[in-house]
Amino acid sequence: MFLCLLDKVQVMSKAIKIAWCVVISLSMLVITSCGGGSDKKKADTEEIPEDTAKSVSAGVLNVGGELFSIPSPLQTAMLMQSSGAAFDKSILNSKENIAQYATDYSKALNLGIYGADLGYVSMYGKTQESIVYLTAVKKLADETGVSGAFDVKTMKRFQDNMSNKDSMMVLVGLAYSSGDAFLKTNKRFDISGLILVGGWIESLNFAISANKIKSSEAVKRRIADQKQSLNSIIKLLSQFETKTNYTELIDGLKDLSKVYDTIEYKFISEKPETDMATKTTTINSHTDVNITKEQLDLITEKVESIRKKIVNPAKA
Amino acid sequence: MVAFILTATSFSSKAQCDTIAKVCAKHIIASFISDGQQYRSLLLNPDETAEFKTTFFGETVYRIAACSGLTDGNLIFNVYDQERNIIFTNKDAKNAPYWDFKVKSTVDVIIEAKLDPTNSGSGCAVLLIGFKQSKK
Repeated sequence: MFLCLLDKVQVMSKAIKIAWCVVISLSMLVITSCGGGSDKKKADTEEIPEDTAKSVSAGVLNVGGELFSIPSPLQTAMLMQSSGAAFDKSILNSKENIAQYATDYSKALNLGIYGADLGYVSMYGKTQESIVYLTAVKKLADETGVSGAFDVKTMKRFQDNMSNKDSMMVLVGLAYSSGDAFLKTNKRFDISGLILVGGWIESLNFAISANKIKSSEAVKRRIADQKQSLNSIIKLLSQFETKTNYTELIDGLKDLSKVYDTIEYKFISEKPETDMATKTTTINSHTDVNITKEQLDLITEKVESIRKKIVNPAKA
Repeated sequence: MVAFILTATSFSSKAQCDTIAKVCAKHIIASFISDGQQYRSLLLNPDETAEFKTTFFGETVYRIAACSGLTDGNLIFNVYDQERNIIFTNKDAKNAPYWDFKVKSTVDVIIEAKLDPTNSGSGCAVLLIGFKQSKK
C-alpha cells in the first residue's frame, strides 16, 4: 500500500523518495514488531476523526468528508450592475471602520466584506473607490497572514487594470483563490471560512439594499437563491462554534435559516443538453420560487442585524 | 515515529496539492472569474469520493476544472441536480479536465470527484470553479 502511495507522489524528488522509503520501512518494522502497535496508531490519531485527519493532510476545508462551496460575492455584484441598480456607496462598509477590527475573527470577516465591496465598486467602474477598497483589503490580508495573495506583483496588476472592470473582477477572484489555498494549506480553516462568510453576507447586503430601493424579480430571486449557501455556511462555521464570538454569529445565521425554510421552492427536473464539440452542457432544470414581501422584510432585517455586528463591532 | 510519518505525509500531500492546483488553474482561462475557492481532497483509492454542494446562478456560464496528478484525465467528476439526477460526467468525454455549464435558471447542484482506477495519478484531487455572465 505504501509503495502504491509512493508511486502516486509524483512531485517528490528521487532523493526524497529514497529517504521516504527508508523511513517507512523502518517505521513498518517498528510497528509490526511491537505488540499493540495498532493500538498506538489509534491513540496517535484518536484526537482527530479519520475524515478530518484526511482533510487536514490535504489542506481541505472539510467536515465529515464533505467540502463546502459558497458562491462568489462577485456574482451578485455583477447582477446588481447588470440589473440596472444604481451605484450606491452608502451600502458598502466604510473604510473608516477598519480601525475597529482588532481580532482575527473580525479581520477575516471584514476581509470577506471588503473583498465583495472591491468587486462591487470595480463592477461600476469606480476607480477611486477601487483604490480605497483595495487598500483596505491589502491591510486586512496582511494582518490575517494572507499577504501572499496581495503581493507586490499582484498589486501592480491591480493598479495597471484599475480602469478595466473585467480584469479587476478576474484579479479579485484570483487573489481570493490564492488566499484561500494559502489558508487551507496552513490549516487556518477558521480564517478561510470567515472570509467566505463575510463575502456572502455582503453579497446578500447588495441584494437586499437594491431590493429596498427598487425591487426587481432578478434581485428578489437572488435573495431567495441563498438557501443552499446559508446551510453550507452554518455547517462550515459549526465546526468552530466553541471559539469566541462564533456562537452569536451561528445563532444569527440559524435564525435567518428559519425564514428561508418558510420559502416555497419547487424543483422541476428537465433533461440537460450536452454539446461535445464546445465542451458545454446546458442545464435546463429549474426551481420555481415563491418569496413573499414579509419573507423579504424578515430576511432584510436579520441580514442587516448580522452585518451590523460584523462591520461595526464597537457599537454592537 | 508514527507522528513523524503522519507529518511527512501531510507535508508531501500539501506540496502535491499546491502543484496540482497550479496546473489546474490553467483551465480557468481569463474570460472566467474564479469563485475564490479551491476544493481539495486527498483520495487514496478510486473508491473514495470527494463531494460538495453549491448553487449555480441563472444566466451564468460555469467552468469546472478537475485535476489529479500532473497530467489531464486522471480525475472523474460528476455533476448532479438536487435530486441526484446526473447532469454530466466527464467519463463520457474521455475524462475531460474541464467542462462548461450554461445555466438558464438557478439550480442547486452536487459535484463529486473520484480517481479514475484505470489511470495512475496523485491521490490529491483539485476542483476549481470559474464563472462568467451568459451572453444574452
